[in-house]
Amino acid sequence: MTRITRFVGGLALAAVLAAPLAGTATAQTPDSDAQIMQGLSQATMFDPALTAQVLRQMAQDAVTQNLPLTLDKSEIAKRLDKLAQITVQIQFALGSDIIRPESYRTLGSIADAMHHPILANYKFIVVGNTDTTGTRAFNLKLSQERANAIVQALVVVFGVSPDRLEAVGLGQEALQVPSKPQDPVNRRVQIFTIGTVGPMGAPVPTSAP
Amino acid sequence: MKRFLVGLAALLLAGMAGSASAQTMSYAEAGALIAKSCGPSIERFCAKDNLGTGAVRNCLMAHQDQVPQQCFDDYAAARASIAKRIAAQGDAWNVCNANIRQACAGVQPGDANILTCLQSASKVIRPACKDILVDAGWWQ
Repeated sequence: MTRITRFVGGLALAAVLAAPLAGTATAQTPDSDAQIMQGLSQATMFDPALTAQVLRQMAQDAVTQNLPLTLDKSEIAKRLDKLAQITVQIQFALGSDIIRPESYRTLGSIADAMHHPILANYKFIVVGNTDTTGTRAFNLKLSQERANAIVQALVVVFGVSPDRLEAVGLGQEALQVPSKPQDPVNRRVQIFTIGTVGPMGAPVPTSAP
Repeated sequence: MKRFLVGLAALLLAGMAGSASAQTMSYAEAGALIAKSCGPSIERFCAKDNLGTGAVRNCLMAHQDQVPQQCFDDYAAARASIAKRIAAQGDAWNVCNANIRQACAGVQPGDANILTCLQSASKVIRPACKDILVDAGWWQ
């Protein structure tokens, strides 16, 4: 279905996933700009049933019923894992959806990747995650607001089409490191490449004789 | 007449040099520039305002006497560069249409196939096409 696998590098995804552990957004280098592009263009498959709506509902149900949602071990997580994705650290003001200036560059890097012809016909889900500090309900709401703020900045400041972006907050329901639920490493933003905006278009016509 | 032509050539050269140096910054560089020049003022005066709402800009203006002029200069430069790059990215395929038809017959659009084709045909690409690809950030 997709041919963007040309940018697949065996170690690239591992590098992207390890990047948030290594440092914050202020440590962005041209290398990590390349990693953003590589991560988002790794798609080997799409999962049309895995929509923003489904993810939101799942997290909401778990919080409402106060049931554990071990998303990290679930089938959904396994399906999410297969999508092209990146994990980035965006710095927000404490307990709010205000993006701190130190992360403006990271937002720009994401926009650079999304605007590039490699990704121009793809759409994305922006997922916000918190750690377990605070209540589950508050964290769910906060992470949705933070994901919304990222989408808003990408659209309004950096001109990414709103048709290509959806925001989902998963609160503390999808911890990166379940064994350390309060570790700040769990506070992260994931971006998944979820499909194409439209058909790729017909081949360029061969010129008439 | 000869002098006129030399003068014209010089003007054209200057124009080309101008367009080459007018290439846009990446969105990442634009974001970094705003953060560098305005970040301290935003953290100090606009800690409750988010990017993309217009609120940050309004807040900076409201504290104009305390915000360094460099912030306003760089903010304007970054926004102008972003706008120029967005426009170039939107217009690139139209401006390059003739070259695409000429050099990329049979190429399947998508996944940067057209861009890759144009880059491999760089010797025959028209200056207007190349310039807009530079402004789009797609031509190194």
